[in-house]
Amino acid sequence: MKCTRCKQKAVVALPSHNAGFCASCFLLYFQNQMEKAIKKQKMFSPRHKILVALSGGKDSLALALQLKLLGYNLECLHLDLDISDTSKQVKTIAQRFCERFELKLHIIELKKENLSIPEVKKKLSRPICSACGQIKRYYFNYFAKQNNFDVLATGHTLDDEVSRLFANTLRWDITYLQQQSPILEQDQEFVRKVKPLYRLTEFETAVFCFLHNIQYSTIPCPYSKGASFTFYKRLLDELEYNQPGRKFNFYETFLKQKSQLFPPSTSKNKINFCSICGYPTLQDICGVCRIKKMLSKTS
Amino acid sequence: MKVIVEPENHILELFKIKSVKALLNRLQLYPFQALVIRDNQLLTPDEKLFPNDTVIIRKVVSRG
Repeated sequence: MKCTRCKQKAVVALPSHNAGFCASCFLLYFQNQMEKAIKKQKMFSPRHKILVALSGGKDSLALALQLKLLGYNLECLHLDLDISDTSKQVKTIAQRFCERFELKLHIIELKKENLSIPEVKKKLSRPICSACGQIKRYYFNYFAKQNNFDVLATGHTLDDEVSRLFANTLRWDITYLQQQSPILEQDQEFVRKVKPLYRLTEFETAVFCFLHNIQYSTIPCPYSKGASFTFYKRLLDELEYNQPGRKFNFYETFLKQKSQLFPPSTSKNKINFCSICGYPTLQDICGVCRIKKMLSKTS
Repeated sequence: MKVIVEPENHILELFKIKSVKALLNRLQLYPFQALVIRDNQLLTPDEKLFPNDTVIIRKVVSRG
């Protein structure tokens, strides 16, 4: 197979784009897709201060490096979840990556916040994935606001967005469908959230990391076994294989038609501020403070 | 042919596989679900494989 752009030998085949690329043309394609996402969705500009949520997996590492290569002003935040050996390994990967590419890395240790994830799992009656997501969103937003970042960038890829859209559609969850977007605008105390990788797939971030010789974590979260999103991803992969480009088309068409199909709700819930930490919430105490309270009661 | 499947690090010895596409089929993977690496080079599905090759299959799906 030859590179569609320069006719050298290709190292990557992308049937969804009816193309193949050599290493250097693939990296240009990757950069172009991210730049297109940033510009099309008006995510941020070089004058903005960006916080990248860095998990240590391939997607967030690829995001951080590509933003750096494009000259954006960014720093990274890693959350240490305190999950046995897994958290230590991913933290080391994040630290080595940031040293190598001269990126400023901040680390929040949830154990020091009395929110060690295994402890939360032991004592919480609801699924740990939802609580863990809630805690992560809280700290990423809190840190970004406290340190005057304009934008929080996450490594969600096209595969993540499509499987989420698929799950929301299966449930016809109108509220979630209204909200799903590669950009969530700043609202009251919430920082603007963006997903610059939404036009790129997990396969493409893996290729990007390989070509830049980036070591990334492949350790699965020990608590994610049986999660529905992995099942949806498998189903969608079969669809993509038989109809190349279907994932991208499904998501792009959704974005184009969203405002007509799922117009934003005009009724707004009254936002309170948590009486303990000041975080925006629909109740008197925010979800994370409620978890902390519950843990202190049962310890 | 020696095949190393990551991230599990399973090592397989497979025979009579002549292309990357055939290898992925044998492993029940779609081409966009894994990187196929030989001698530190990425391979496209149309590439030929040989009995003395050592090939790394690096699965790419995030698992939480």
